[in-house]
Amino acid sequence: MAARKLVAIRVNASLCVGSGMCVATHPDKFALQPDGHSLYTAAVLDEAAALEAEELCPVSAISLVYDDNEEAR
Amino acid sequence: MTAAVNDDLLDDELVQNPSPYYAMLRERFPCYWNERWRGWVLSRYDDVYAAMHSPRYLADRITPWYMNRLNDEERERYKLTYQALHSFVVFTDPPDHTRLRKIFSRAFTPKAVQTMRAITEEMVAWHLDQWEHGRTIDLNAEFAYPLPANVISTIIGARREDLHRLQHWAEAITTLLLAGVGDDTRLDRAQAALIEFKAYLKVLYDERIDNPRNDMMSWLMEVQRTDPLLTEDDVLHSCIILLNAGHETTQTLICNTLTTLLDLPEQFEFLRRNPQAMKTAIEEGLRYNGPLKGTIRLAGEDMELHGQHVEKGDRILLLMGAANRDPAKFEDPERFVPTRDPNPHLSFSHGIHFCLGAPLARMEAEIAFNEILRRFPKMEVRSPVRWEPRILGRSIQAPIHLQLG
Repeated sequence: MAARKLVAIRVNASLCVGSGMCVATHPDKFALQPDGHSLYTAAVLDEAAALEAEELCPVSAISLVYDDNEEAR
Repeated sequence: MTAAVNDDLLDDELVQNPSPYYAMLRERFPCYWNERWRGWVLSRYDDVYAAMHSPRYLADRITPWYMNRLNDEERERYKLTYQALHSFVVFTDPPDHTRLRKIFSRAFTPKAVQTMRAITEEMVAWHLDQWEHGRTIDLNAEFAYPLPANVISTIIGARREDLHRLQHWAEAITTLLLAGVGDDTRLDRAQAALIEFKAYLKVLYDERIDNPRNDMMSWLMEVQRTDPLLTEDDVLHSCIILLNAGHETTQTLICNTLTTLLDLPEQFEFLRRNPQAMKTAIEEGLRYNGPLKGTIRLAGEDMELHGQHVEKGDRILLLMGAANRDPAKFEDPERFVPTRDPNPHLSFSHGIHFCLGAPLARMEAEIAFNEILRRFPKMEVRSPVRWEPRILGRSIQAPIHLQLG
């Protein structure tokens, strides 16, 4: 199976409650926006960091998007 | 001009039906100084939401109470209570909050909560096996209280034969937190409970130092081991807050939502036929009659809000109950709509104090309601629904009698 390529790290704004779990775990990757929601802000996509944030998010608002168009998990 | 506003937040009319009062505040007094409560009241969705997300609103109302309201002798006497409450994440601000919340980071992830599903299903089934058709049951005593209490105690790793002791301690602490500090007997009872509670948990802690188990105490200890900033006390106090939070609020969620549904037979029947809609119905229950009407913050600095001058240190009551029925945010807010989606209610709070137990509470409620509706398609409330006179909490006076069909 060919390796999938990570193309985006998404935070669903209608699920995000701004708990800041992702920001506390990876302050150099995620940041809270003025509207209270979190956003992946780093220039480079860090898959390991995103997977950890996805797992720790209390409302499952974070998802990883791969080039085969399937969202991880 | 403000003379028309009732400042008694425990007034019976207001407690039984807060909606008209909330609407009046939202429309005419969005930032209202309540002279009797000695604090500001925010009621619009946008304002409550913004306050929950702003570092200018502080959650630590324990330190000002301890430092300013108690004399030297009292401070010495209640030092232990202060230390424990001050390490409860709900009463801390960053950076303490950031450090303490880390303990829970893996405790309630949606994945971790899935491992609690089997325990919850087993306990729901056990309780409902005792409900015989035709009997009248006491909803709190025979389900809503013991279910979440047993689930959280088991998850933490307490022994089943000790549950009644945990319940006694949790009640003493909850009474202090919900009724407010200032009454010495409450403080003494809470402090005695905290000491015994902690000593009990310390035994569990020591048992797990060399022999970690698959329970929440062991997970918290694992986080502590890898983080030099976290102490044994932090873990023990965190277990206390988990046990407390798991007792009261989930019980209220179950009682409020089930009672609301039984008052709306069409919705009850709809959910019985469509168990997949239970998830959104629970969110609607949280919005419509959530277990907490409000939460308290302190102003971290002077601010201007809706033409009012809020001074640093002022108390501010954030009325989630009013925000959750704000027509500026929710369509038809006075109607219970079980399929409402999205439903951005604020009942679990929002921002860094968002309830970390939310995934567990949601799962417990979903399993409980689907199983109750499946087994008991007909039920009737046989006692008057009277809301408890509380400033922050919204719960129905016990007992709630249900006649099973």
